[in-house]
Amino acid sequence: MFRIPISELDAHARQLRRDLIELIYRARSGHLDTSLSLVEVYLALVYSSSYRCDPSRGDWSGRDAIFLSEGHACPIQYLINARLDYYPVEEVFAGIRKPHSPFQGHTQRNLKYGLENSNGSLSIGVWQAYGFALEWPQDVYCIAGDGEFEEPSALGLLAAPHHLKPAGNFTLLLNNNGLAQDAATDIGPLADAARLYNWNVMEIDGHDWAALGEALQEAVRDRQRPKFIVCRTVKGQGGDPAKAGKLGSHGKPPANEAERNAYLAGVDAAGEGR
Amino acid sequence: MQTFGNVSLREAFGEALLAAGEQFDDLRVLDAGTSNSTMSEPFRKKWPERFYTAGINEPGMIGLATGLSMAGRRVVACDMSIFLQHAFAHLTTAARQGEDLHLIVAASHTGIAVGPDGGSAHDLTDLARMRLIPGFTVLAPWDGHQVKQALEVILNRKGCYYLRLNRPKVPIFTAPDVRFEIGKAVILREGREISIVATGDKVYAALEAADMLGDGVAEVIGVASIEPFDDATVVASAIRTGRVVTVEDHIFVGGLYERTAGVLAASHPTPMRRVALDRIFTTSGEPDELARLYGVDAAAIVEVCRKFLGVSD
Repeated sequence: MFRIPISELDAHARQLRRDLIELIYRARSGHLDTSLSLVEVYLALVYSSSYRCDPSRGDWSGRDAIFLSEGHACPIQYLINARLDYYPVEEVFAGIRKPHSPFQGHTQRNLKYGLENSNGSLSIGVWQAYGFALEWPQDVYCIAGDGEFEEPSALGLLAAPHHLKPAGNFTLLLNNNGLAQDAATDIGPLADAARLYNWNVMEIDGHDWAALGEALQEAVRDRQRPKFIVCRTVKGQGGDPAKAGKLGSHGKPPANEAERNAYLAGVDAAGEGR
Repeated sequence: MQTFGNVSLREAFGEALLAAGEQFDDLRVLDAGTSNSTMSEPFRKKWPERFYTAGINEPGMIGLATGLSMAGRRVVACDMSIFLQHAFAHLTTAARQGEDLHLIVAASHTGIAVGPDGGSAHDLTDLARMRLIPGFTVLAPWDGHQVKQALEVILNRKGCYYLRLNRPKVPIFTAPDVRFEIGKAVILREGREISIVATGDKVYAALEAADMLGDGVAEVIGVASIEPFDDATVVASAIRTGRVVTVEDHIFVGGLYERTAGVLAASHPTPMRRVALDRIFTTSGEPDELARLYGVDAAAIVEVCRKFLGVSD
């Protein structure tokens, strides 16, 4: 299911959360809670047994591609690619949100660094990823936010297998944390609609390694239909428990040392619970 | 003036696209459900496996086209210009992917020349919109020969391109041996007293107007490359004549008039007049009728030039 044991995935997740908190605290801006909700989803994907990439050749034509459509989650993308050895993690800490650095406030495409697409405005990356998949021989994954599907253009992607053609190598991972910027977001019958349009739909706990692993295995097994994995997540998961799953923290970094420490304490507490 | 028949810019495009299909295996073509209008249909019929019908879904089409080009394909996305207004964010994000993309956006049905379908179908702002996006080369060729040459050039060079086409037939007057170059304007007629800077299918009207103004009066500069713009040729002409008139089937905001004015203001301020649409919504009518109504035909160019020159009838 995974290339590394679950205990190592847990260790990665803990360290990744600490790095995210530290990175966004130091940058004094960035979307911490979105990134925290994606920790297990993103790690499960890059450590799944089928996922292929070569960090020494980011533009390798044999790679599986990961598009990040909800671009504000780029801090987790930057830190995970460092973890995969595309570049040293110090480069991320030095460059985050700085002029002309490879680590902009939203992703700037950079294949050498494993950054597959420039993103920003929501609903665009999902279409680019689907188009890419139509002509790419390997697997293509796209991580999108649930609020993103409030955009009519993203919603329209559901019809693509029907109107265009089914991309059997395409998997959309939906970060369903239920919270957008200023309001909750409810995906409603989105999964049912995807089923009607012939997606292979899976609805799972996005913080559960086994569920993620099984869904990703199913994703590579089914070559006929595109996959739509609804990952139920908690915004701010594993950080400050007073803030997790609540509105009000979107795009807000820890404001001071005390807030940062509250986030870090949340990571430690979750670690002890395992 | 020697001409080589009449063809619409979209028909010339369709023929060239079909021919390019033979040449480039990696060519992929998309259309947002208008292939029999944009003339991508012959390609669709000949190579259905290399053609994507995105449906009435312009943002999706541009997103898909961007993705196809990110996967290393040579991509041409076709649509009626007005509908591409839906896709502006996708076009911007396409250009933000970087310089290794090879993406051509071909838009037919621009300006009032679309005619009876009316104001909602007249795209008078496409040049302005596309000029706003860094990374897009913006081209508005003026006849069938030039469309074919422009397409050949941009199919052989990576980048993001906007290719402005049109619906009605227009005379071909570019000799087949005149080569198209990105960033180069062409002096089509020499003159001493006034420079007429024209783009797209209005270049022919500018030449007709120059004929009416008499020998050696008006210099006609054809601008098929709006971005990048040939500052040197336009400025040199303005220095020679001291008067510049721009001609376009587009509103004056953000189009050729303001493009030219920006260049002249910075290097050689020159009195200017414009033949362009005002900032208005337009009406139904036959293309010639509308060109007369809105003052963007050859007679209107002549009138503007005469007034500018201080010549009374």
